[in-house]
Amino acid sequence: MNLLYNIFLYSLWFLSTYYVVVLVLIMLVGRKNLYENRKFDFKKEPRVSVIIPAYNEQGKIKFTIKSLRKVNYKNIEFIIVNDGSKDKTSKEVKENIKGDPRFLFIDRKENRGKAASLNEGIARASGEFVATMDADSVIEPGIFYKTVPYFSDEKIAAVTVSVLVKDPKSFIHKIFEMEYIIGLSLYLKVFSFFNGIFVTPGPFSIYRKSIIQNIGGFDEKNITEDMEIAYRIQKNHYKIVNCLEAKAYTILPPTFRKITVQRRRWYSGALHTLSKHRNVLANKKYGAFGFVAFLNYLLIFLGLLLFLSTIYLFGSNLLKDLLHLQYSNLDLWLRLKSMEFDILTMSRAAVLGFVSISFTVFGLIVGLIMTRTDVRNKKLGILGYPFLFFLYQYFWLVSIINVIGGKGIKWR
Amino acid sequence: MEVKKSIFLIALLITAFLLSTILLLGDFLNNERKSNVEERMEIISDLNDIQTFSLLSDVYGNKLACLAFKSKLADWDKTLWNLGLKLEQYRVATEEFQKDPFYIEQKKKFNENELLYMAFLTKAKNECNLTQNIISFFYRKSELCKKCDDQSFVLTDVKRMLEDQVSIFSFDSDLNITSVQLLERYYEIDQYPCIVINEEKFCGIQDRNFILDKLGYTE
Repeated sequence: MNLLYNIFLYSLWFLSTYYVVVLVLIMLVGRKNLYENRKFDFKKEPRVSVIIPAYNEQGKIKFTIKSLRKVNYKNIEFIIVNDGSKDKTSKEVKENIKGDPRFLFIDRKENRGKAASLNEGIARASGEFVATMDADSVIEPGIFYKTVPYFSDEKIAAVTVSVLVKDPKSFIHKIFEMEYIIGLSLYLKVFSFFNGIFVTPGPFSIYRKSIIQNIGGFDEKNITEDMEIAYRIQKNHYKIVNCLEAKAYTILPPTFRKITVQRRRWYSGALHTLSKHRNVLANKKYGAFGFVAFLNYLLIFLGLLLFLSTIYLFGSNLLKDLLHLQYSNLDLWLRLKSMEFDILTMSRAAVLGFVSISFTVFGLIVGLIMTRTDVRNKKLGILGYPFLFFLYQYFWLVSIINVIGGKGIKWR
Repeated sequence: MEVKKSIFLIALLITAFLLSTILLLGDFLNNERKSNVEERMEIISDLNDIQTFSLLSDVYGNKLACLAFKSKLADWDKTLWNLGLKLEQYRVATEEFQKDPFYIEQKKKFNENELLYMAFLTKAKNECNLTQNIISFFYRKSELCKKCDDQSFVLTDVKRMLEDQVSIFSFDSDLNITSVQLLERYYEIDQYPCIVINEEKFCGIQDRNFILDKLGYTE
C-alpha cells in the first residue's frame, strides 16, 4: 500500500505542479495583457439588456438594484425575472425600481428555475448583448464600457469579469475571497489566452445575444447553466474572453452549511455538464479547451483519490494509536508532552507536501500582485488558502455522493 | 495574446527541476539520518568503559568498579534509549519505496550492543546492589505479532514516566541474532510479545498498570 501510495503521490504532484507552473508562466509572460483596457470606440452605444433572475432574494436584491441604478451606460435595460419567489422579493423589487424606466419586471408566480428565467428574459430583451447577473451580486457602474468593447471581434460570444467577494467577514469567507480573486478572476483571464474558459460566472457575464439564441439558449435542465453554456459556446467554436479590469461582487452564503449546499449544487451541476459534454474531453477538435477540461477533471478526481487514501492511511494509524492508548490508561498527555521536533524525521513525501504548500502560497502571492490586490486586510485569507484543498475534496465528495445517490438539486 | 508552445516545455523543465530538488533534498536528509545514526552507534559501540570497569572490578574489587559504573549508568541508559527511538523514527522516515538494508544492519548492531549492556547491567545490579529495574522486551514484526506494537507503545510510556529508574531493552526476534536467540532460549520465550521484568517472564500483552505494579510503582 505504501509503495503504491507513494508512486501515486509523486505522479499526482508532478501533474498538478506542471499544470500550475504552466498557468503561472502564461500569467507572467502575458502580464502586460492582463489588463487590456480596451477602448470603447462604437459610434453608437450598442443596446445591452441585463437579466436578473430572482428566487427568494428578499433583503438582498435591493442592493443589486441599487448598484444597477448607478450604471452609467445609457443604452441599457434591466429585466428582473421573479421566479415564483415565496418571500417578499416581488414587493422589494417593485419598491426599489420605482421611477427608473430602464427596469422591466417580470413577476412570475410559478417557479421554473434559473435557466428558464434567463431564457424568458432573453426572449424579452431588446439588446444586441445580454448580461446575466445573480440577484445577490452587485456591479461597478462602468462595467459595460469596459466589457462591451471586447465584442468588436465577431467570434467572441461572451465576456466574463473579475468576480470578487462582497464584504467577507468570517475566516471561511476570507479563504474563499482568495479563491475568487485567483480562481474566478485571474485564472479565467489566463485561460482566455488559450481559449480555455469553461464557465461564464453567474454573478456577472455578458453575451452576444445572437450566438446564445443560435446555440439554443440556456439549458433549462442544468443546475449550473453558466458552466453548461460555456461548454456549448466552446463546442461551437466561439470565444469566451475575460475582462479583468471589470468587477462584480457577490455575497457568499453566511454559514459553512449553506456554502456546502451552494458548492454541492455547483459541483453536481459540473458533473452533469461533464457527462453531457464528455466528448469534449481531450478532443483535438475543441483545441486547448478539450485538454484543459480533461486535465481539470483528471486532477480533481486524482486529488480526491489522494485525499481519500491519505485519510485512510492517516485514520488507520490514528486508530492504531488510539487502540494502543487503551493499555496506557488513555494517557494522551504523556505522549504529547514528550513530542519533539526533529527535521530529520521528515520523509521525502513530507518535503513534497511542504513544497506544495509553499508553492500554493507563492502562486497566491504572485496572483495577488498580478491582480493589484491590496493585501493589508487579507492576511487571514492568505494563511488559510492552502486549506482550500481539503475544502474542495469535501465539497467534491459530497457532490459525487449526491450525484451517485441520484438526488435532485434545485438552483436555489 | 498567443500562447507559445515553448511555455509548455519550459514548464516541464521547471517542474522536473523542482521534483529533482525534492528528491535530492530527500537524499540529503536520508544521508544525514544515516550519519546521525552511525555517529550515535559509534558512541554506544565504544566498549572501552565497560572493559575498564570489568578490569577495575577484577583488580581493585567491586567497590571502585561500582562507584565508576554508577556515575555512567544514567548517561549510558539515556544514550541507548534515545538511539533506539531515533533508529525507528529514521527508518520510518527513510522507507518510502523500499526497505533500506542500512537500518536492518544498524538494528542488528544496536540489539547486540543492547544485549551486552544489559548483561553488564544485570551483573552490576547483583554485585553493586543497584535498585535499577530491568525490562527485556522480545517482539516480532507487526504482521506476525499484532500485539507487539501495543506492547512497545506501553513500554515507551513506562520509560517516559520512570525515566532512568528503569532500563528497557527491546529485542527483535526476526533479526535472527545468535545472542538474542540464546537469551530467548534461556527465558523459554515461545510467544510474542513477551517481557521479562527483573527476571520474571510475562508473555502476552501487559498493560501499563500491570508493569508499574510489578516494578513496585503505583499510579
